[in-house]
Amino acid sequence: MSDWVRIADESDVSDGEAFASEVEGEAIALYRYEGAIYAIGDVCTHEHVRLSDGWLDGDRIECPLHQSCFEIRTGKVIEGGPAYEDVPAYAVKVEGGGVFVRRNA
Amino acid sequence: MTSTLLRNSTDRVWPAEGVTRVPAWIYSDPEIYAKELKVFHYGKTWNYVGLDCEVPEPNSFKRSWVGERPVIVTRDAAGEIHVVENRCAHRGSLLCWKNRGQAKDLTCPYHHWSYNLKGDLMGLPFLRGAQGKGGMPRDFDKSKNGLTKLRTAVRGGSIWATYSDDVPPLEEYLGPEILMRLDRLVSRRPLRLLGYSRQLVESNWKLYWENSRDPYHATLMHPFLSTFGILRTDGDYHSVPLQEGRHEYTYSHYDPELKNRSTEASKQIKSIRSDLEMKDKDVVTSVVDEFKDGMMGAFQVFPTILVQQYFNCLVVRHVIPKGVGAHELSWTYFGYEGDDARVNELRLKQSNLVGPAGFVSLEDSEVLSLMQPVVESCPDSVQVLEMGGHGTEAQATMMTETLIRAFYDFYRREMDL
Repeated sequence: MSDWVRIADESDVSDGEAFASEVEGEAIALYRYEGAIYAIGDVCTHEHVRLSDGWLDGDRIECPLHQSCFEIRTGKVIEGGPAYEDVPAYAVKVEGGGVFVRRNA
Repeated sequence: MTSTLLRNSTDRVWPAEGVTRVPAWIYSDPEIYAKELKVFHYGKTWNYVGLDCEVPEPNSFKRSWVGERPVIVTRDAAGEIHVVENRCAHRGSLLCWKNRGQAKDLTCPYHHWSYNLKGDLMGLPFLRGAQGKGGMPRDFDKSKNGLTKLRTAVRGGSIWATYSDDVPPLEEYLGPEILMRLDRLVSRRPLRLLGYSRQLVESNWKLYWENSRDPYHATLMHPFLSTFGILRTDGDYHSVPLQEGRHEYTYSHYDPELKNRSTEASKQIKSIRSDLEMKDKDVVTSVVDEFKDGMMGAFQVFPTILVQQYFNCLVVRHVIPKGVGAHELSWTYFGYEGDDARVNELRLKQSNLVGPAGFVSLEDSEVLSLMQPVVESCPDSVQVLEMGGHGTEAQATMMTETLIRAFYDFYRREMDL
């Protein structure tokens, strides 16, 4: 995924809701927040579960299992839950109605 | 004829002779047993729970027990030791099933409630329900639903826990004489774990507790000792009760020439066989006087452990009650970081002396588990403790039951019997 990969239509991603997708076996969730689209890894770093099944609260997604929270813009873990490691954040571009992601260098 | 049948529990009074007599009902009465747990293990005592070398690194844990209650000893990411109940705060299921290991958190197998190594509840699945339905009420407070935490103390390499807010600090509870003996074994050098033995003994825990306060049986019931001249009645021996019977210690100076001497006392013990020769003398010959004092011995810290040094074998015997008629003996063998190969070899060889099949301990659990049905069937029978007189003072002999009398002197006061 060193090149841009189309992951969704722009219309798939709406405010206040996670869009769960997958590229080359990697679970990725898309979020629209304050007009921009963000993509972060969708598997909690504590236990194997999709974060997008959890609770979206502003700019953070809360894991459905143990309430570890991650920043949807950066993938950074927020202290207070059982997860200690960040999930990856991906570069995002929107082009011709499609959403493309690329692994950050 | 004196009746040995069970009377009503309200009729139970300690025999008038005092500490030279022990009534058998104390080994089988479930009410007495429940009171012991409440007053002793869950009361104003410090309970041994493990050694720091069992949780050597940050993010490690081991299981242990305080009384009948399962606990977990943890070392958190910052290196701090904690002791928490091994009981999920949700529905009470056993949280940790592994004896020892590494973990960043503890997750219950039942509903996956997850705790950090301090015992705080970090999260629980479906707190907010699923598809907007179910879930915990909004006022559910994770900070009020952590594991039960015990007060914890660490002395050298030993770890202790208590349910009591009132028990004095560990050092005061142990007292200077136990502290000196404990430090001698666990505080001078970092410990190294050598291994474990565990056994279930089908007797009341006090029968074992008395057994390790009873040096007098050793030369008789454990023929290995007298046969090979390790511990004899004509050697130097001290039996010392402490804190009015709460703790005790025994010690002797090992004399490698004793085997070649024959005195009046040793002639009385028929099991000495000079025609038997031990093939590997390492087991009974201390070649490394590592404490520079020529001493060997043991001490009891009420109500959980006997710590023992036989030559270079170092072991903690943890007595864990498992109902009125059973207890577990958990033996933890240890040495020190940086032990050379020779000392390590001696520790391992000499560990054959103790444990469930030890040369000088295998008879204990056999005799006690056959004793339990006898004391249960004759609850109003009375045992006699007159060896060494009627008192509870320290004595420079092993031909004495002073340590058991001292224990029951303490026991009766604490139990109000």
